[in-house]
Amino acid sequence: MTELRTSETKLEFPYSRTTGPVIGAFLAGLREGKVLGIKGADGRTLVPPPEYDPETGGYLGVELVEVGPLGTVQAWAWVHDPLPKHPLDHPFAFALIRPDGADSAMLHAVDAGDPAAMRTGLRVRPRFKTEPTGLITDLEAWEAAE
Amino acid sequence: MTERCAVIGIGQTHFKKRRDDVSMPGLLREAIDRALEDAELSIGDIDAVVIGKAPDAFEGVVMPEIFLADAVGATGKPLLRVHTAGSVGGSTFIVGAHHVITGIHDRVLAVSWEKQSEGNAQWGLAGGRSGGIGAGGAFAPWIRAYIEESGAPEYIGWMVAVKDRRNAAKNTYAHLKMPDITLETVKESPMLWDPLRFHESCPSSDGACAVVLTNQAGARRSSKPAAWIDALSVRSELGQFPGRNPVRPQAGVECAHDVYRQAGITDPRREIDMAELYVPFSWYEPMWLEGHDIAGPGEGWKMVDSGETDIGGAFPVNPSGGVLSTNAIGASGMVRFAEAAMQIRGTAGEHQIDGVRTSLAQAYGGAAQYFAMGIFRSS
Repeated sequence: MTELRTSETKLEFPYSRTTGPVIGAFLAGLREGKVLGIKGADGRTLVPPPEYDPETGGYLGVELVEVGPLGTVQAWAWVHDPLPKHPLDHPFAFALIRPDGADSAMLHAVDAGDPAAMRTGLRVRPRFKTEPTGLITDLEAWEAAE
Repeated sequence: MTERCAVIGIGQTHFKKRRDDVSMPGLLREAIDRALEDAELSIGDIDAVVIGKAPDAFEGVVMPEIFLADAVGATGKPLLRVHTAGSVGGSTFIVGAHHVITGIHDRVLAVSWEKQSEGNAQWGLAGGRSGGIGAGGAFAPWIRAYIEESGAPEYIGWMVAVKDRRNAAKNTYAHLKMPDITLETVKESPMLWDPLRFHESCPSSDGACAVVLTNQAGARRSSKPAAWIDALSVRSELGQFPGRNPVRPQAGVECAHDVYRQAGITDPRREIDMAELYVPFSWYEPMWLEGHDIAGPGEGWKMVDSGETDIGGAFPVNPSGGVLSTNAIGASGMVRFAEAAMQIRGTAGEHQIDGVRTSLAQAYGGAAQYFAMGIFRSS
């Protein structure tokens, strides 16, 4: 008799994440086509907005500030063969994008068509979904604004 | 180097079925801010942070210690995560205290929580694989065994439920408050896991608990009374093995004897003034009274029957309302330690017991296989 060396198991469960007053407002902003940040204790504008200051741990309040709409690519990596869970079904770049008016960058997708079109310093604009649901994917991708 | 360790700050959130008014970081911070205010400290005064919660599958947050570092004030500081299933709140408290007792840190924040509404604990316990009998289903046969061995009448479980839910009505932070509950209410509630009825079972709660621990120098700087730790112990054993007695797990017996020895206690029923025991299902009150040798074999249920474990009794158990009334699983063990410390400090409010000088805290987890216990004194 041959032993069974593996036993397949599949874990799946639909969790419900409570967003709180800050991430909740950020997601509500995306639904309305806006990117929102928050002022840190040192005066920097942080995007996405944290609830607690990354330097001091202090509470930052719930007053958010709109940034962008344009942003600048600060770093990027081209995805040649997107997987089913990737944000776009054709080749794209994962990039750190600093929206205008923000002092930090957010990780998102740039729909640039070709890696030759990508560079650090590229100016990009957000493209929102026409039917938003209040998720980060409401911001479908960024595209070149030059 | 050995320091004495004291609790100088205690904070709890209000526990509810669903705290959708706050994020998970916000939930922890609510308890932390209350503990820091109680300790008259700010988050920058803390030297190290220890956090604990039950399995990640409960809320689907993998590595919460990374997700929550900012909110718990651990930026640039030592941060440890503890995990011992349902007893984790107790063992998190103990790991935090060890930081102080060893002289490594002066002021330590320990925090534990569960935000059960974000997932499903029964699914999490089963790891998505087993039949999902739930905690009650696992414990029900052992409870049946206790009832048969001890000859306890069926109403003992109902009495514990009535006592704990009425006690919870005196506790600002408790989840289920039922000041008018009667034996009839419990008796007529649906059978969930025979012999356990609905009102003999704990709820699923969202909530957090935090404590600030410090040494003698730190306690002297506080203007409020401290609860001094006289004994701490953890023990564990496999959840099943041939010859195991799950009604009276050996790890629980040895954990109890270890804290009694450390505190110089030879007659716990007389020398301990009150206890907060982890009782998620009513029958675990008499089972732990016997399992920790507070009562002799078959005597635990008689302590319940005579009213000895009521707030006005000779050995009050769970004046807070206990796990039976409030169960944010990861927090529940720490709440036992916090409540036992509050009774020493005289800060328990409406459920305060007069003249508590020695208190016992106990948490258990897994298949009644992890134990964490502590003894507090007023000096």
